[in-house]
Amino acid sequence: MKRYLALILVLSTICTNLFAAEAGMPQLDPKYWASQAFWLILVFSILYISIAKIYLPKIKSNLDDRENKIKEDLDEASKLKNLSEKKIKEYEIILENSKKEVTKILLVSKNTLNKNIQNKKASMEKEIENEISKAQKEILEMKKNSINSIHNISQEIASNIIEKISGDKLNESSTRAVIEDVAKKNIGKYL
Amino acid sequence: MQQFSVHKIGPEIKIAGIDLSFTNASLFMIISMAIILLFLFLGTKERKIIPDKIQLIAEMLYNFVAKMISDTAGSKAKPYFPFIFSLFMFVLLCNMVGMLPYAFTVTSHIIVTLIMALFVFIAVTIIGFFKHGFKYLSIFVPSGVPAVLLPLITIIEIISYLSRPVSLSVRLFANMMAGHTMLKVFGGFVISLGILGGWLPLSFSVALTGLEILVAFLQAYVFAILTCIYLNDALNLHH
Repeated sequence: MKRYLALILVLSTICTNLFAAEAGMPQLDPKYWASQAFWLILVFSILYISIAKIYLPKIKSNLDDRENKIKEDLDEASKLKNLSEKKIKEYEIILENSKKEVTKILLVSKNTLNKNIQNKKASMEKEIENEISKAQKEILEMKKNSINSIHNISQEIASNIIEKISGDKLNESSTRAVIEDVAKKNIGKYL
Repeated sequence: MQQFSVHKIGPEIKIAGIDLSFTNASLFMIISMAIILLFLFLGTKERKIIPDKIQLIAEMLYNFVAKMISDTAGSKAKPYFPFIFSLFMFVLLCNMVGMLPYAFTVTSHIIVTLIMALFVFIAVTIIGFFKHGFKYLSIFVPSGVPAVLLPLITIIEIISYLSRPVSLSVRLFANMMAGHTMLKVFGGFVISLGILGGWLPLSFSVALTGLEILVAFLQAYVFAILTCIYLNDALNLHH
Protein backbone atom coordinates (compact mmCIF):
# COMPACT_ATOMS: atom_id res chain seq x y z
CA MET A 1 0.00 0.00 0.00
CA LYS A 2 2.69 2.41 1.08
CA ARG A 3 4.90 1.39 -1.75
CA TYR A 4 2.17 2.26 -4.24
CA LEU A 5 1.66 5.57 -2.52
CA ALA A 6 5.36 6.27 -2.79
CA LEU A 7 5.41 5.23 -6.42
CA ILE A 8 2.49 7.53 -7.17
CA LEU A 9 4.35 10.29 -5.36
CA VAL A 10 7.49 9.62 -7.33
CA LEU A 11 5.72 9.39 -10.65
CA SER A 12 3.62 12.48 -10.09
CA THR A 13 6.65 14.46 -9.07
CA ILE A 14 8.62 13.24 -12.06
CA CYS A 15 5.75 14.20 -14.36
CA THR A 16 5.15 17.63 -12.96
CA ASN A 17 8.64 18.71 -12.04
CA LEU A 18 10.92 16.72 -14.26
CA PHE A 19 13.46 19.47 -14.59
CA ALA A 20 12.72 21.42 -11.47
CA ALA A 21 13.24 18.71 -8.94
CA GLU A 22 14.31 21.09 -6.22
CA ALA A 23 10.74 22.19 -5.76
CA GLY A 24 9.38 18.64 -5.35
CA MET A 25 11.58 15.76 -4.32
CA PRO A 26 15.10 16.58 -3.21
CA GLN A 27 15.98 12.98 -4.00
CA LEU A 28 15.77 13.69 -7.70
CA ASP A 29 18.02 16.73 -7.58
CA PRO A 30 21.31 15.56 -9.03
CA LYS A 31 23.28 18.37 -7.43
CA TYR A 32 24.65 16.30 -4.55
CA TRP A 33 24.47 12.84 -6.15
CA ALA A 34 28.19 12.70 -6.70
CA SER A 35 28.85 13.84 -3.16
CA GLN A 36 26.47 11.28 -1.71
CA ALA A 37 27.97 8.51 -3.82
CA PHE A 38 31.48 9.50 -2.82
CA TRP A 39 30.72 9.69 0.89
CA LEU A 40 28.67 6.49 0.78
CA ILE A 41 31.51 4.57 -0.81
CA LEU A 42 34.04 6.06 1.58
CA VAL A 43 31.99 5.44 4.71
CA PHE A 44 30.91 1.99 3.68
CA SER A 45 34.46 0.98 2.80
CA ILE A 46 35.69 2.04 6.22
CA LEU A 47 32.78 0.23 7.84
CA TYR A 48 33.34 -2.92 5.79
CA ILE A 49 37.06 -3.05 6.43
CA SER A 50 36.77 -2.51 10.16
CA ILE A 51 33.96 -5.03 10.48
CA ALA A 52 35.66 -7.65 8.32
CA LYS A 53 39.15 -7.21 9.75
CA ILE A 54 38.53 -6.42 13.40
CA TYR A 55 35.12 -7.11 14.81
CA LEU A 56 33.78 -10.20 13.08
CA PRO A 57 36.93 -12.28 13.75
CA LYS A 58 36.69 -11.21 17.39
CA ILE A 59 33.06 -12.23 17.69
CA LYS A 60 33.74 -15.45 15.83
CA SER A 61 36.69 -16.40 17.98
CA ASN A 62 34.69 -15.61 21.08
CA LEU A 63 31.79 -17.77 19.89
CA ASP A 64 34.22 -20.57 19.07
CA ASP A 65 35.84 -20.21 22.47
CA ARG A 66 32.49 -20.49 24.13
CA GLU A 67 31.54 -23.53 22.08
CA ASN A 68 34.83 -25.21 22.94
CA LYS A 69 34.43 -24.32 26.57
CA ILE A 70 30.90 -25.72 26.62
CA LYS A 71 32.09 -28.88 24.90
CA GLU A 72 34.96 -29.24 27.35
CA ASP A 73 32.66 -28.63 30.27
CA LEU A 74 30.20 -31.18 28.98
CA ASP A 75 32.98 -33.71 28.50
CA GLU A 76 34.22 -33.02 31.97
CA ALA A 77 30.72 -33.32 33.35
CA SER A 78 30.13 -36.67 31.67
CA LYS A 79 33.50 -37.88 32.91
CA LEU A 80 32.64 -36.81 36.43
CA LYS A 81 29.26 -38.43 36.09
CA ASN A 82 30.84 -41.73 35.10
CA LEU A 83 33.25 -41.41 37.98
CA SER A 84 30.49 -40.70 40.44
CA GLU A 85 28.48 -43.62 39.12
CA LYS A 86 31.47 -45.86 39.63
CA LYS A 87 31.90 -44.50 43.11
CA ILE A 88 28.24 -45.10 43.86
CA LYS A 89 28.60 -48.67 42.71
CA GLU A 90 31.65 -49.12 44.89
CA TYR A 91 29.84 -47.59 47.76
CA GLU A 92 26.89 -49.89 47.23
CA ILE A 93 29.20 -52.90 47.21
CA ILE A 94 30.80 -51.69 50.41
CA LEU A 95 27.39 -51.15 51.91
CA GLU A 96 26.26 -54.63 50.95
CA ASN A 97 29.40 -56.20 52.36
CA SER A 98 29.11 -54.30 55.56
CA LYS A 99 25.46 -55.32 55.83
CA LYS A 100 26.47 -58.93 55.48
CA GLU A 101 29.16 -58.44 58.05
CA VAL A 102 26.73 -56.80 60.39
CA THR A 103 24.32 -59.71 60.16
CA LYS A 104 27.20 -62.09 60.74
CA ILE A 105 28.39 -60.15 63.74
CA LEU A 106 24.85 -59.98 64.99
CA LEU A 107 24.45 -63.72 64.67
CA VAL A 108 27.75 -64.45 66.40
CA SER A 109 27.10 -62.09 69.23
CA LYS A 110 23.59 -63.42 69.62
CA ASN A 111 24.95 -66.95 69.87
CA THR A 112 27.61 -66.03 72.38
CA LEU A 113 25.11 -64.04 74.35
CA ASN A 114 22.72 -66.98 74.39
CA LYS A 115 25.48 -69.27 75.50
CA ASN A 116 26.51 -66.91 78.23
CA ILE A 117 22.97 -66.54 79.37
CA GLN A 118 22.48 -70.30 79.36
CA ASN A 119 25.69 -70.82 81.32
CA LYS A 120 24.73 -68.23 83.82
CA LYS A 121 21.27 -69.64 84.05
CA ALA A 122 22.64 -73.14 84.66
CA SER A 123 25.04 -71.99 87.31
CA MET A 124 22.32 -69.94 88.94
CA GLU A 125 20.01 -72.91 88.91
CA LYS A 126 22.70 -75.08 90.49
CA GLU A 127 23.26 -72.50 93.16
CA ILE A 128 19.57 -72.21 93.79
CA GLU A 129 19.29 -75.98 94.01
CA ASN A 130 22.18 -76.12 96.47
CA GLU A 131 20.57 -73.44 98.54
CA ILE A 132 17.27 -75.27 98.45
CA SER A 133 18.80 -78.60 99.47
CA LYS A 134 20.75 -76.83 102.20
CA ALA A 135 17.61 -75.18 103.44
CA GLN A 136 15.73 -78.47 103.31
CA LYS A 137 18.50 -80.14 105.29
CA GLU A 138 18.35 -77.36 107.85
CA ILE A 139 14.61 -77.68 108.06
CA LEU A 140 14.91 -81.42 108.53
CA GLU A 141 17.46 -80.98 111.28
CA MET A 142 15.32 -78.36 112.90
CA LYS A 143 12.41 -80.74 112.72
CA LYS A 144 14.42 -83.49 114.34
CA ASN A 145 15.59 -81.14 117.02
CA SER A 146 12.11 -79.88 117.61
CA ILE A 147 10.79 -83.46 117.91
CA ASN A 148 13.48 -84.24 120.46
CA SER A 149 12.75 -81.12 122.44
CA ILE A 150 9.00 -81.87 122.18
CA HIS A 151 9.73 -85.33 123.58
CA ASN A 152 11.73 -83.86 126.38
CA ILE A 153 9.10 -81.25 127.16
CA SER A 154 6.22 -83.72 126.99
CA GLN A 155 8.17 -86.20 129.18
CA GLU A 156 8.76 -83.49 131.73
CA ILE A 157 5.16 -82.36 131.58
CA ALA A 158 3.90 -85.94 131.75
CA SER A 159 6.13 -86.87 134.72
CA ASN A 160 5.16 -83.62 136.45
CA ILE A 161 1.46 -84.27 135.89
CA ILE A 162 1.76 -87.87 137.08
CA GLU A 163 3.74 -86.76 140.10
CA LYS A 164 1.09 -84.20 140.97
CA ILE A 165 -1.79 -86.63 140.50
CA SER A 166 -0.32 -89.73 142.01
CA GLY A 167 2.40 -88.32 144.12
CA ASP A 168 4.67 -90.97 142.80
CA LYS A 169 7.79 -90.46 140.96
CA LEU A 170 7.79 -92.60 137.87
CA ASN A 171 10.74 -94.24 136.26
CA GLU A 172 12.16 -91.82 133.80
CA SER A 173 12.97 -94.38 131.14
CA SER A 174 9.52 -95.95 131.21
CA THR A 175 7.81 -92.57 130.73
CA ARG A 176 10.11 -91.81 127.93
CA ALA A 177 9.32 -95.08 126.23
CA VAL A 178 5.56 -94.42 126.58
CA ILE A 179 5.88 -90.90 125.23
CA GLU A 180 7.95 -91.98 122.29
CA ASP A 181 5.41 -94.67 121.57
CA VAL A 182 2.55 -92.13 121.68
CA ALA A 183 4.60 -89.63 119.66
CA LYS A 184 5.30 -92.22 116.99
CA LYS A 185 1.59 -92.78 116.69
CA ASN A 186 0.65 -89.11 116.58
CA ILE A 187 3.60 -87.27 115.15
CA GLY A 188 2.38 -87.81 111.59
CA LYS A 189 -0.58 -85.51 112.39
CA TYR A 190 1.67 -82.53 113.05
CA LEU A 191 4.47 -82.92 110.64
CA MET B 1 9.75 17.39 1.61
CA GLN B 2 12.16 19.62 3.43
CA GLN B 3 13.25 16.71 5.61
CA PHE B 4 14.79 15.03 2.56
CA SER B 5 16.76 18.01 1.33
CA VAL B 6 20.52 17.76 1.24
CA HIS B 7 22.59 20.76 2.17
CA LYS B 8 26.24 21.47 2.46
CA ILE B 9 28.04 21.49 5.80
CA GLY B 10 31.36 23.30 5.89
CA PRO B 11 33.45 24.33 2.88
CA GLU B 12 32.83 23.19 -0.64
CA ILE B 13 35.07 20.34 -1.71
CA LYS B 14 35.60 20.04 -5.44
CA ILE B 15 37.73 17.32 -6.95
CA ALA B 16 38.21 17.30 -10.71
CA GLY B 17 35.24 19.60 -11.14
CA ILE B 18 32.88 17.32 -9.22
CA ASP B 19 31.18 18.65 -6.11
CA LEU B 20 32.03 16.25 -3.27
CA SER B 21 31.12 18.57 -0.42
CA PHE B 22 30.42 17.25 3.04
CA THR B 23 26.64 17.31 3.46
CA ASN B 24 24.11 16.38 6.10
CA ALA B 25 23.73 13.04 4.25
CA SER B 26 27.45 12.40 4.72
CA LEU B 27 27.15 13.42 8.35
CA PHE B 28 24.41 10.90 9.03
CA MET B 29 26.28 8.18 7.15
CA ILE B 30 29.21 8.82 9.46
CA ILE B 31 26.92 8.88 12.52
CA SER B 32 25.43 5.52 11.53
CA MET B 33 28.87 4.08 10.95
CA ALA B 34 30.12 5.47 14.25
CA ILE B 35 27.20 3.92 16.12
CA ILE B 36 27.84 0.54 14.49
CA LEU B 37 31.55 0.66 15.22
CA LEU B 38 31.03 1.85 18.79
CA PHE B 39 28.47 -0.86 19.37
CA LEU B 40 30.75 -3.54 17.95
CA PHE B 41 33.68 -2.15 19.91
CA LEU B 42 31.73 -2.37 23.16
CA GLY B 43 30.33 -5.73 22.15
CA THR B 44 33.74 -7.27 21.55
CA LYS B 45 35.74 -5.44 24.21
CA GLU B 46 35.51 -7.91 27.08
CA ARG B 47 34.97 -11.21 25.25
CA LYS B 48 33.58 -13.00 28.24
CA ILE B 49 32.49 -16.63 28.23
CA ILE B 50 29.23 -15.53 29.81
CA PRO B 51 28.40 -12.41 27.79
CA ASP B 52 27.06 -9.15 29.16
CA LYS B 53 24.10 -7.47 27.49
CA ILE B 54 25.86 -5.58 24.72
CA GLN B 55 28.10 -8.52 23.89
CA LEU B 56 25.04 -10.74 23.75
CA ILE B 57 23.35 -8.37 21.30
CA ALA B 58 26.44 -8.31 19.08
CA GLU B 59 26.62 -12.09 19.11
CA MET B 60 22.91 -12.43 18.44
CA LEU B 61 23.25 -10.14 15.42
CA TYR B 62 26.22 -12.18 14.24
CA ASN B 63 24.27 -15.41 14.57
CA PHE B 64 21.20 -13.84 13.00
CA VAL B 65 23.07 -12.77 9.85
CA ALA B 66 25.10 -15.98 9.77
CA LYS B 67 21.93 -18.06 9.92
CA MET B 68 20.29 -15.92 7.27
CA ILE B 69 23.22 -16.48 4.91
CA SER B 70 23.57 -20.19 5.56
CA ASP B 71 19.81 -20.69 5.16
CA THR B 72 19.51 -18.85 1.87
CA ALA B 73 22.90 -19.12 0.19
CA GLY B 74 24.50 -22.14 1.80
CA SER B 75 28.02 -22.65 3.04
CA LYS B 76 29.63 -21.35 -0.17
CA ALA B 77 28.56 -17.83 0.76
CA LYS B 78 30.74 -17.73 3.84
CA PRO B 79 33.43 -15.44 2.35
CA TYR B 80 30.74 -12.82 1.70
CA PHE B 81 29.51 -12.87 5.28
CA PRO B 82 31.38 -9.67 6.34
CA PHE B 83 29.97 -7.79 3.38
CA ILE B 84 26.37 -8.84 4.04
CA PHE B 85 26.79 -8.20 7.75
CA SER B 86 28.11 -4.69 7.02
CA LEU B 87 25.34 -4.06 4.52
CA PHE B 88 22.64 -5.20 6.92
CA MET B 89 24.04 -3.18 9.80
CA PHE B 90 24.54 -0.07 7.69
CA VAL B 91 21.05 -0.10 6.20
CA LEU B 92 19.52 -0.94 9.58
CA LEU B 93 21.33 1.85 11.38
CA CYS B 94 20.66 4.40 8.63
CA ASN B 95 16.95 3.55 8.81
CA MET B 96 16.90 3.63 12.60
CA VAL B 97 18.86 6.87 12.91
CA GLY B 98 16.42 8.36 10.41
CA MET B 99 13.59 7.65 12.84
CA LEU B 100 14.99 10.17 15.31
CA PRO B 101 13.40 13.62 15.13
CA TYR B 102 15.38 16.15 13.06
CA ALA B 103 17.55 13.35 11.71
CA PHE B 104 18.26 12.83 8.06
CA THR B 105 17.42 9.45 6.55
CA VAL B 106 20.30 8.41 4.34
CA THR B 107 18.39 5.50 2.83
CA SER B 108 15.51 7.71 1.73
CA HIS B 109 17.67 8.86 -1.17
CA ILE B 110 17.42 6.85 -4.35
CA ILE B 111 21.03 7.51 -5.25
CA VAL B 112 22.30 5.88 -2.07
CA THR B 113 20.15 2.78 -2.34
CA LEU B 114 20.82 2.56 -6.07
CA ILE B 115 24.56 2.56 -5.55
CA MET B 116 24.29 -0.20 -2.97
CA ALA B 117 21.94 -2.22 -5.14
CA LEU B 118 24.10 -1.70 -8.23
CA PHE B 119 27.17 -2.75 -6.33
CA VAL B 120 25.40 -5.94 -5.20
CA PHE B 121 24.13 -6.57 -8.72
CA ILE B 122 27.48 -6.07 -10.43
CA ALA B 123 29.34 -8.04 -7.75
CA VAL B 124 26.89 -10.93 -7.97
CA THR B 125 27.14 -10.97 -11.77
CA ILE B 126 30.94 -10.96 -11.64
CA ILE B 127 30.92 -13.73 -9.02
CA GLY B 128 28.54 -15.74 -11.17
CA PHE B 129 30.68 -15.47 -14.28
CA PHE B 130 33.84 -16.07 -12.26
CA LYS B 131 32.50 -19.27 -10.69
CA HIS B 132 30.68 -20.75 -13.66
CA GLY B 133 32.04 -18.98 -16.75
CA PHE B 134 29.60 -18.80 -19.63
CA LYS B 135 27.47 -21.48 -17.98
CA TYR B 136 26.21 -18.69 -15.76
CA LEU B 137 24.05 -17.56 -18.69
CA SER B 138 21.97 -20.70 -18.11
CA ILE B 139 20.36 -18.78 -15.23
CA PHE B 140 18.18 -17.22 -17.95
CA VAL B 141 17.04 -20.62 -19.24
CA PRO B 142 15.02 -22.47 -16.64
CA SER B 143 14.90 -26.24 -16.99
CA GLY B 144 11.68 -28.10 -17.57
CA VAL B 145 10.08 -25.39 -19.73
CA PRO B 146 8.40 -26.39 -23.02
CA ALA B 147 10.47 -25.38 -26.06
CA VAL B 148 7.67 -23.18 -27.36
CA LEU B 149 7.73 -21.01 -24.27
CA LEU B 150 11.49 -20.95 -23.93
CA PRO B 151 12.20 -17.69 -25.86
CA LEU B 152 9.49 -15.87 -23.95
CA ILE B 153 10.64 -17.22 -20.58
CA THR B 154 14.23 -16.35 -21.38
CA ILE B 155 13.30 -12.77 -22.21
CA ILE B 156 11.28 -12.52 -19.01
CA GLU B 157 14.18 -13.94 -17.01
CA ILE B 158 16.61 -11.46 -18.54
CA ILE B 159 14.29 -8.55 -17.78
CA SER B 160 13.76 -9.76 -14.22
CA TYR B 161 17.50 -10.19 -13.75
CA LEU B 162 18.23 -6.71 -15.06
CA SER B 163 15.52 -5.13 -12.97
CA ARG B 164 17.00 -6.53 -9.78
CA PRO B 165 19.02 -3.43 -8.86
CA VAL B 166 16.04 -1.21 -9.59
CA SER B 167 13.63 -3.24 -7.48
CA LEU B 168 16.17 -3.63 -4.71
CA SER B 169 16.95 0.07 -4.51
CA VAL B 170 13.45 1.43 -5.10
CA ARG B 171 11.98 -0.91 -2.47
CA LEU B 172 14.18 0.47 0.28
CA PHE B 173 14.07 4.08 -0.88
CA ALA B 174 10.30 4.12 -1.41
CA ASN B 175 9.56 2.49 1.92
CA MET B 176 11.73 4.93 3.78
CA MET B 177 10.45 7.97 1.94
CA ALA B 178 6.79 6.95 2.14
CA GLY B 179 7.03 6.28 5.85
CA HIS B 180 8.66 9.58 6.60
CA THR B 181 6.31 11.46 4.33
CA MET B 182 3.33 9.89 6.04
CA LEU B 183 4.70 10.79 9.46
CA LYS B 184 5.19 14.34 8.23
CA VAL B 185 1.66 14.51 6.81
CA PHE B 186 0.11 13.30 10.05
CA GLY B 187 2.35 15.66 12.00
CA GLY B 188 1.03 18.49 9.81
CA PHE B 189 -2.54 17.41 10.59
CA VAL B 190 -1.81 17.62 14.28
CA ILE B 191 -0.72 21.24 13.86
CA SER B 192 -3.56 22.27 11.57
CA LEU B 193 -6.31 20.63 13.65
CA GLY B 194 -4.96 22.18 16.81
CA ILE B 195 -5.66 21.14 20.35
CA LEU B 196 -9.29 20.15 19.66
CA GLY B 197 -8.97 17.75 16.75
CA GLY B 198 -5.27 17.04 16.74
CA TRP B 199 -5.45 14.04 19.04
CA LEU B 200 -6.54 11.60 16.39
CA PRO B 201 -3.67 12.26 13.96
CA LEU B 202 -1.34 12.40 16.95
CA SER B 203 -2.30 8.90 18.01
CA PHE B 204 -1.95 7.84 14.39
CA SER B 205 1.50 9.37 14.38
CA VAL B 206 2.47 7.38 17.45
CA ALA B 207 1.22 4.15 15.90
CA LEU B 208 2.93 4.97 12.61
CA THR B 209 6.21 5.60 14.40
CA GLY B 210 6.04 2.08 15.80
CA LEU B 211 5.21 0.74 12.37
CA GLU B 212 8.07 2.70 10.83
CA ILE B 213 10.54 1.23 13.29
CA LEU B 214 9.33 -2.20 12.25
CA VAL B 215 9.65 -1.22 8.58
CA ALA B 216 13.15 0.13 9.21
CA PHE B 217 14.22 -3.24 10.53
CA LEU B 218 12.25 -5.19 7.97
CA GLN B 219 13.66 -3.29 4.99
CA ALA B 220 17.21 -3.79 6.21
CA TYR B 221 16.43 -7.48 6.59
CA VAL B 222 14.82 -7.65 3.14
CA PHE B 223 17.77 -5.86 1.56
CA ALA B 224 20.20 -8.28 3.16
CA ILE B 225 18.19 -11.40 2.43
CA LEU B 226 17.64 -10.43 -1.22
CA THR B 227 21.38 -9.92 -1.52
CA CYS B 228 21.79 -13.41 -0.11
CA ILE B 229 19.28 -14.82 -2.61
CA TYR B 230 21.03 -13.17 -5.54
CA LEU B 231 24.31 -14.46 -4.21
CA ASN B 232 22.80 -17.92 -3.94
CA ASP B 233 21.80 -17.77 -7.63
CA ALA B 234 25.35 -16.86 -8.55
CA LEU B 235 27.03 -19.45 -6.33
CA ASN B 236 24.73 -22.42 -6.74
CA LEU B 237 23.46 -22.65 -10.29
CA HIS B 238 20.20 -24.52 -9.86
CA HIS B 239 18.44 -23.97 -13.13
